[in-house]
Amino acid sequence: MAFTQLIVNGLIAGAIYALIASSFSLIFNIIKFMDLSPGAIFVTAAFSAYAFNIILGLPFPIAVILALIVSITVSLLINKLVYQPLINKKSNSFTLLLASFGVFLIVTGFILLIFGAEVKTFGLPITKGYEVLGFIITKTQIILIITSFIIFIALHLFMKKTKLGKAMRAMSDNKQVASIVGIDVKKITNITFILAAFLASIAGILVALEQNLEHNMGFLVILKGLTASVIGGIGNVPAALIGGLIIGLVENIGIWYLPSGYKDAIAFVILIIFLIFRPKGLFGTKTREENSG
Amino acid sequence: MIEAYLIHLLILVGIYAILALSLNLAMGNTGLLNVGHVAFYAVGAYTSALLTLNLHFPFWIAIIIAGIFAALFGLIIAIPTIRLRGDYLAIATLGSAIVVENVLRNWTSLTRGPLGLPGIPKPVFFGMQISGLGYLVLVIVFAAITYFIINHITKSPYGRVLKAIREDEVAAASLGKNVRKYKTQALVISAFFAGIAGSLYAHYISFIDPGTFGILESILIISMIIIGGLASTRGAIIGALILILLPEPLRFLPIPSFAIGAIRQIIYAALLVLILIKRPQGIFGEFTKKENGT
Repeated sequence: MAFTQLIVNGLIAGAIYALIASSFSLIFNIIKFMDLSPGAIFVTAAFSAYAFNIILGLPFPIAVILALIVSITVSLLINKLVYQPLINKKSNSFTLLLASFGVFLIVTGFILLIFGAEVKTFGLPITKGYEVLGFIITKTQIILIITSFIIFIALHLFMKKTKLGKAMRAMSDNKQVASIVGIDVKKITNITFILAAFLASIAGILVALEQNLEHNMGFLVILKGLTASVIGGIGNVPAALIGGLIIGLVENIGIWYLPSGYKDAIAFVILIIFLIFRPKGLFGTKTREENSG
Repeated sequence: MIEAYLIHLLILVGIYAILALSLNLAMGNTGLLNVGHVAFYAVGAYTSALLTLNLHFPFWIAIIIAGIFAALFGLIIAIPTIRLRGDYLAIATLGSAIVVENVLRNWTSLTRGPLGLPGIPKPVFFGMQISGLGYLVLVIVFAAITYFIINHITKSPYGRVLKAIREDEVAAASLGKNVRKYKTQALVISAFFAGIAGSLYAHYISFIDPGTFGILESILIISMIIIGGLASTRGAIIGALILILLPEPLRFLPIPSFAIGAIRQIIYAALLVLILIKRPQGIFGEFTKKENGT
């Protein structure tokens, strides 16, 4: 395989990790805990799109909209039933992290129960990829990269320019002060979960077009998203993009030197190295102490 | 038949009790959020299996070396990560457990990768092979020793230092306690017993593969000590008992095995979430400050 091909594969994987990383970062910054549930939302969206499009035979755009509705609803339910009671009891962030792990297992357990264990695929006709500069890229992959970059720009503009985005950043800085100046904390919390679920769902649907669907496909993705977020600097969304691309590139270029089975290990070795030497990430501003507590 | 099945379940309860007791020392007593406990269990199981299979070590020596290897591995993990706080330690240990599983899967010349290691010999005691009821007695002996040692540690002045570190690291350090040293020791002791449990599991089931040591196992062990109550030695054992026996009736329902796996996963996770929301101190929890305070 050509080296340029590995770079392209890295960019494709990186775009997905970056979407998940920004979903994770949003919740971490605004609600202040490490939430693994974007991994579950990712799988929910992928399987819902599959169910609406392939099993029920609805047209693809409608299936995508319905899948987004399903997964965002699931995310809001998780927040209402699990996270809010814990936050109201002032549980520490580890309790929330553990609860989110539980939520992840419950959701993927139900998906396994509903859809069964066999691998599923959208079965898009396999098209011959375009060959440019020694690498091959398919139409789906081009759509994947373009969609994710459009979403990133939109997210960035939303956070910087709109009133809601500003309110979210205010709440990220200081929840109490934000509520004093009249920001509806509950509403912003829900919007954060909607936005995070939207990002994770888009990632799930894009991956579903590309790869096989498995109920446990969300676990490594959320952990790599988390890693990307730590590498970029857990504090901000553009950093999550860079972090995602770095993880995608490093693990794909890494298998140029290592047996491909070690692909998943590479990301976590990088995670551990970053946690030890630069826990605030490449672009992070917060110190470790402030984040963990 | 039914007796053999009960013995099998109790052996598993015993092995998980050792895992829960050992994790409790690091997590419940010292406050180290170790999500990668399964890595120590895996190192112990593979060490013991490889020593007996390839080098024909007797079980009794292999199990001790398994504990020592797991402890050494705990030290290797502790040196860089022990200074991380809270959630950052949690994700670092989670990452290290995934790396361990990945290495077991890919280092095929040693571990046979996904094919696993079959035919791990049963222990032999004065010329007699130990299995069935005998193995249950063996596991109970090891679990009792673990219980005794860990109970002793937690009740001693040393254990009080560990709890002090859990409650307030800065205060403990200001009283001249070397916080990092204590934390490292707690993790190493915890890893040692997890290695022993790994060896007991390997020689009981006689087959291990990387899939046995997935991250779900770690969550299972964490659920056990949270349900039993963090820092409660009695709770760790009750937690192991509840979580191993609870999903067993599913086995007798006429449903496909993937569905059993799915329902088991949902039960474990739902119970964990429920306990976290309704009774974060667990059944025998001794303290509530940490959950409700910081």
